[in-house]
Amino acid sequence: MKRQCAAATLALLLLGTSPALAWDPFRERDEPPAPSQEPDPAPFIAPPPGIYYVTDTYVADVVTSNGPLTTYTTTTTHESTGSYARVLDTVGTGTSSAFDGSAFNGRRALGDGRSVAGTYYENYVLTDDGFVPVSVVFFQDDAELARLLAARTPPPAITPPPPSAPSTTAARSIAPACCAPARPIAIPRPTPPPAKPIRPGISLLPAGASISNIEVLRGRAVALWPRAFVDDREIPVLSWTVVSGDAGQALTTAGSGGVPFRTSWTRLAAPGAVYQIVFRIEVDTPDTGHRTVDAVIAVIVRSPALQD
Amino acid sequence: MSWLEDDRGTALVLTLVLAPVLLVALSGVLQLGALRVAAARVRAAADLAALVAVNDQDDAELARSGALRLAADAADVAREYFARELELSAPLLDGSAADIAATADVVAYPSAPSYDARTGARYDRPTVRIAADVPVRTPIFGALVLRPVTMLHVVAVSSPR
Repeated sequence: MKRQCAAATLALLLLGTSPALAWDPFRERDEPPAPSQEPDPAPFIAPPPGIYYVTDTYVADVVTSNGPLTTYTTTTTHESTGSYARVLDTVGTGTSSAFDGSAFNGRRALGDGRSVAGTYYENYVLTDDGFVPVSVVFFQDDAELARLLAARTPPPAITPPPPSAPSTTAARSIAPACCAPARPIAIPRPTPPPAKPIRPGISLLPAGASISNIEVLRGRAVALWPRAFVDDREIPVLSWTVVSGDAGQALTTAGSGGVPFRTSWTRLAAPGAVYQIVFRIEVDTPDTGHRTVDAVIAVIVRSPALQD
Repeated sequence: MSWLEDDRGTALVLTLVLAPVLLVALSGVLQLGALRVAAARVRAAADLAALVAVNDQDDAELARSGALRLAADAADVAREYFARELELSAPLLDGSAADIAATADVVAYPSAPSYDARTGARYDRPTVRIAADVPVRTPIFGALVLRPVTMLHVVAVSSPR
């Protein structure tokens, strides 16, 4: 009897037991789906940094002479051909670049032999394999006063593209003949940056140092050159005008950037006073847009005199 | 009528006594006037030479800094023009104009302020200073047992003001 009771009790205990497992806080949640193992139909290829869709296409390098001022620019046409580009390097006047010689249109030199300033762009086309570089182009953007070099080599008014560039047509696709894709490559015009500050200046020489005041002898003819600078780089002056101050015996009080303000003063200023001449300088460049800026120079007229 | 009251011939005596005195006085006045004229001409020559030299400015420095600064050859210019101006008064000089100008003390002070070692003056502007001893002939003084050559001391200082 005791054995039967013990067996029955053991059986009840066995029936009432449950598995002694650790508590699972996520037991009520569904099983996460297994990650898909499907193959990637098009492997992701990271685009080159800074790449963007082009909206303006390179046409040609242009060198324009306006009096003694020679300007190096690049013409474009507003056209989207579905290609891409990115900036490789921005170089200043005379500055060398690792991309020199790689641009199909070459990089010109100023009259003194220094390379022109500008920007290197690399062109891409988007294929199934991603962005494929196809060519490099150089957008020149510089100017020089060719007056000092006129005695050696007067610059032409308009010159054709350099020999290094393909010369099949005057206005051509930027793609070089060696690796031209089926469609022309477009180069974007640089996005107009915010207007850069213009630093005006007056100098006694066309390429001299800017001065804020000057001593001149009475009756002595002087030539003042209104100039303008952006980021320590000279930009061409479209025109200038004397807006205030005693201009003396000036031949003219307005002119273009290629001519100086020529004058002389035959009267001395009052003791302790100076002549304040204010020039309004007009510039119009891609960096600055069409703007005017005032330059001031203090003129002290002196005369040789005897002392006791 | 005694001989004491006889005044015949006194005019002759007075003339003989006073005429040389008057002649010497007149000659001295003339020589002194000529010397003053010569001094004025020599001074004008030095002044003009100094002015011309000051007008010779360093254009490169002017273009660089906008400040007036004497040219490097300002002293030579002053000496050259001093000789040229003295040449116009050559008959009055006891020596050639070129020699006198060559021995003149001509100094150019290209920048200011500067101090003149000879005169101690301070110059607040670029300055040219000419100091010269100019020998001038004074023959009447020589005849009167004075110096036949009178030395004129001239100083000219010029600067742009």
